[in-house]
Amino acid sequence: MPTDQATHSLFHHTGTTKLKLVSPVKLCLFVVKKKIIRFQPRTQPALRWRRKILFRICSISTVAAVILLLIFPSFRQLLLPSLGLSALLRDDPLISTVKHYDLSNAQGSARGWEKDERILMCVPLRDAEVHLPMFFSHLRNFTYPHRLVDLAFLVSDSKDRTLMLLKEHLEKVQADPDPLQPFGEISVIEKDFGQKVQQDVENRHGFAAQASRRKKMAQARNWLLSATLKPYHSWVYWRDADVETAPPTILEDLMRHNKDVIVPNVWRPLPDWLGGEQPYDLNSWQESETALALAETLDEDAVIVEGYAEYATWRPHLAYLRDPYGDPDVEMEIDGVGGVSILAKARVFRTGAHFPAFSFEKHAETEGFGKMAKRLKFSVVGLPHYTIWHLYEPSADDLKQMERMEEERLEKEAREQEEVERAKRVSESWQDKKGEWEQDKKEIQNKALEKSRERRERRERGERGERKPLEGSEQGPHAHAGEEEAEAKKGGGGSNAEANGIDAADDA
Amino acid sequence: MARPLRRSSPITLILALVLFLGFIIFILSPSNPVPSIPKSKIASSSSTRTSPNSPPPVVHYYLNNLTTSSDPVGNRERVLVLTPVARFYDEYWQNLLKLSYPRDLIELGFIVPKTREGNTALAKLEDAVRRVQTGSKKHRFLGVTIIRQDFDTPVPQNEKERHALSAQKERREAMSRARNSLLYTTLGTETAWVLWLDADIIETPHTLIQDLASHDKAVIVPNCYQRYTDKGKEKTRPYDFNSWHDSETALAMARKMGSDEIILEGYHEMATYRSLMAYEMTEGGDPHLETELDGVGGTALLVKAEVHRDGAMFPPFPFYNLIETEGFAKMARRLGHQPYGLPNYLVYHYNE
Repeated sequence: MPTDQATHSLFHHTGTTKLKLVSPVKLCLFVVKKKIIRFQPRTQPALRWRRKILFRICSISTVAAVILLLIFPSFRQLLLPSLGLSALLRDDPLISTVKHYDLSNAQGSARGWEKDERILMCVPLRDAEVHLPMFFSHLRNFTYPHRLVDLAFLVSDSKDRTLMLLKEHLEKVQADPDPLQPFGEISVIEKDFGQKVQQDVENRHGFAAQASRRKKMAQARNWLLSATLKPYHSWVYWRDADVETAPPTILEDLMRHNKDVIVPNVWRPLPDWLGGEQPYDLNSWQESETALALAETLDEDAVIVEGYAEYATWRPHLAYLRDPYGDPDVEMEIDGVGGVSILAKARVFRTGAHFPAFSFEKHAETEGFGKMAKRLKFSVVGLPHYTIWHLYEPSADDLKQMERMEEERLEKEAREQEEVERAKRVSESWQDKKGEWEQDKKEIQNKALEKSRERRERRERGERGERKPLEGSEQGPHAHAGEEEAEAKKGGGGSNAEANGIDAADDA
Repeated sequence: MARPLRRSSPITLILALVLFLGFIIFILSPSNPVPSIPKSKIASSSSTRTSPNSPPPVVHYYLNNLTTSSDPVGNRERVLVLTPVARFYDEYWQNLLKLSYPRDLIELGFIVPKTREGNTALAKLEDAVRRVQTGSKKHRFLGVTIIRQDFDTPVPQNEKERHALSAQKERREAMSRARNSLLYTTLGTETAWVLWLDADIIETPHTLIQDLASHDKAVIVPNCYQRYTDKGKEKTRPYDFNSWHDSETALAMARKMGSDEIILEGYHEMATYRSLMAYEMTEGGDPHLETELDGVGGTALLVKAEVHRDGAMFPPFPFYNLIETEGFAKMARRLGHQPYGLPNYLVYHYNE
């Protein structure tokens, strides 16, 4: 400590001595400098404080804004228009007749159910009364949020109660107390195309009827789609009413692949005598060289129809590539698609792809649609191992066969019935004999009992003992029975032997 | 650090608090009515689409009763006027407003590209539409749908580049996409007629719809001309060359072409020798004169809705080596609908 003080005083001293040496000008400068130095500390913090205040206010407000953005999503809508151009595309709540849509918002993605993507489900119907209950049971089971599914039906040239039944079912599902059941907008369109072709199975799949039938079908599909597709639909799902079995998650399952057009494999169950199951939809196929060469030779209006010997195309069909134990997510590029269950992005249809009601590259309807989608460079994909099951409707041949089988069955049943009756008769006749024998046996037993009673009475009289008969009655039944039987056997003679014989036969 | 905080605390904290509170009030006060606006918007714009309380009703449409006749006004037939908008011309809008067809039977549909130009056009269109639709009820259109397309338009739409042969295919493919996107999202269950009217058609007779419909043809197209001034004199010249009758030369050209090539009209490099409706106009001729066409232009085009419903669209790919409206005419013919033209019935295109 003392040394410290000493050095301090020493420095002080040297300092003053140095000061004395500087010139008056320098001194003057020094004073000015000192003044500046003294002045600066006052100004700087003031500036810094102001800056700090600003900084603090800014940071507080940004933090508040961020928190508010996180807490209230509605706040985002307030901010975003000023940032983006979407302000231009907003509906004015006061003008109900003007609507704005940005098609970029209806592109369709792999997880549409999370992004509230709307699906338009199109179902063409004709004389489908019998299939409706089954169809609606499928509809109710869909796991895709029902409110996001808009339904569109086209009822054409129906002679049965399809329309009435359809409306009944629809009104029921819309009035369902379960808030998850009702669907989005529902349009039922009635339009007749004057279809001459009957809708029964034989006619429907007959080769000659195919081309014109499919052109009419295509027309119906186009009318349905063009009238009901709206700018807010991201997906379009085409579904036939006569699907018997399909997973309730089918929309999500197909959507997950995020393809422009996607179809599952379609099979149908068959009665056991026909093999149990069969590929149904042969319209999903990959193009082959043979088919392209064949198409070259045909005239402008010809339509190649798959699955008939007349046109051997040697195309790989989705249906035949099914492996029941295969990975259901396996994809296969295809060119023609079947119409039983198609999921497509709405932009495919918006771009112009439709179901050609004319011969487009020698194809019509859904196969033509597949070709057109390919032409527009959209991805068209089938899932060979993801199978849905079409209803089995027996054809005329099948029906004949079934009739024959039914006859056979009836015959067989009649035979069996006869058999049973005969057996019954036989056993009944035996039963009679048995009864006789029982009667005989009883009679014999009675006789034996009478005899033994007489004997016992005689013995009692002879011995006059009290214990013996008691003992006898205690042990008696078995011993006596044996005795009695033995006696009866001895005495019974012929009838007894006969009875034994029957017994033996019965045992055998 | 501690000193400036202590020193500035009264001013800073009060200021910060006041600002923060003000900020919160500013944010919260509009946020209460704001959510209700989108809600009411949804409820009104899409009827019952998202209201969970009452599921949408089942709506039944009888398309068998839908007529498209030569007397559209008498039969109360709805007309959908569709316009792909790249630029907004006030003359177009004024002309549209002058159409004498009852406005309660007219629905308008517009599609704008996803570009800056598209946005400027959209802003102007918005403005024009708002003025009419907030005006007296009698003069309002039945409905207006404005759509922004979901794909990019390849070429900037100025006159020179637009007509370059090399750019034509791409441009017209995009145009087809735009037309189809617009058509298939606006075509409703009750639409009877579709009038395609380009945004640069600035002068038509006021009875355009009635006149064209009176011919009762599936597809009918007027002759499209352009007014210009040459040495101070007002003159007209043919503009749209896409309406034509096919020629053997063109058909032979198509046969030789690959399936991805297209034939275009009005280019020296490609002499098709088709007879063009643009040159079939006779001064003072009968405006009701009809002529069968093989290709049609889309500047003004009246189509029965059933033609589009059957599937006739604007092919965005070479269809019989034809594209867009010309391809549409071919597709309509494939579906059994014959297009017709009116060589002496004129509409006028904007002069750039």
